[in-house]
Amino acid sequence: MTYVVTDNCIKCKFMDCVEVCPVDCFYAGENMLVISPDECIDCGVCEPECPADAIFPDTDPKATGEWLELNKTYADIWLNLTHKDPPPADAAAWNGVEGMRASFSPNPHVSEPRRVA
Amino acid sequence: MNMPVQRLLRVGPGAAVGITEAMIHELVHAFYATVRADPALGPIFNRVIGDGWDDHLAKLCDFWSSVLLMTSRFKGAPMPAHIRIAEIRPTHFARWLHLFKQTAEQLCPPEAAALFVAKSEMIAQSLQFGIAASRGELPPLRPEPARTKQPSDSGVGR
Repeated sequence: MTYVVTDNCIKCKFMDCVEVCPVDCFYAGENMLVISPDECIDCGVCEPECPADAIFPDTDPKATGEWLELNKTYADIWLNLTHKDPPPADAAAWNGVEGMRASFSPNPHVSEPRRVA
Repeated sequence: MNMPVQRLLRVGPGAAVGITEAMIHELVHAFYATVRADPALGPIFNRVIGDGWDDHLAKLCDFWSSVLLMTSRFKGAPMPAHIRIAEIRPTHFARWLHLFKQTAEQLCPPEAAALFVAKSEMIAQSLQFGIAASRGELPPLRPEPARTKQPSDSGVGR
C-alpha cells in the first residue's frame, strides 16, 4: 500500500509534499518527484497538499500500475528530498497540462545550495 | 518563500473535527498506558522501547500532530521500525487497533475519534503490507496488463 505521484507533477514539481511527509519518502528527479512504496505509510497528508493534485492512493484508478512502477523504480535511483526547493519558474504553466508522461526526465534533482542560517 | 507563515497556514484534517495538541497528548499517553499493561502488546513494546518511553511518547505526539495538524514535527521511519520486530503478527495489529479505537472513543468527541481510528487503520494496513513484503509473503509489485482504454480516457469507471 502506498501513495503514488502521477502525471501532473511532471514539470510542476511544486514539492509541497516533501515538507509535510512525516517519513521522508519522497525522491526527487529533474522534473518530477516520486514516493517510495516501501517507505510510504499511507498517512495521506501529501495528497491534499499537492497544488497540482498529482498524488493518489494506490487504490485510486489514476494510480495505475505504470505510475506505481515508475515511483518504485525511481525511488531506488533518485536521492531522498526532505526540504522544498524553489519549483521550476514555469511550474504554474504546466499545472493541468495532460499527457506529460512523454516529458518525464529520468535525471536526478539537483538541490540549490542551502543558505547557511 | 516565507516558510514559517506557510507552515502556520497549513490546516490538517484534524482541525475540522476539533483535534488539538492537548487532545493528541491525552490520547497518546492514555493509549500507551493501556498498551504497556496489555498481555499481548505490553511485552513487545516494553522490550523494544525499554527505558525510552518518555522520548517515545513525545515522538508519537509529534507523529499524530504531523499527520492530523500538519505541523511537520515528526521525522522518523516507522516502516523499518516495525519490520525489525520479528515477533509482530497481524493479531498484534488487530489488538492495537481495538485498544486504540476504544481509547479514542472514550476520550475524544465522536468525529475526532473517527478520524484517529480511520488514520490508524490505514497506517496499520500499510505497515502490515510492508512487513509482509519484507518477509517475502507478498508477490512483487508489477505493472498492470495492457489496458484496452485509450490513455486520454479519464479515470472514471475503471
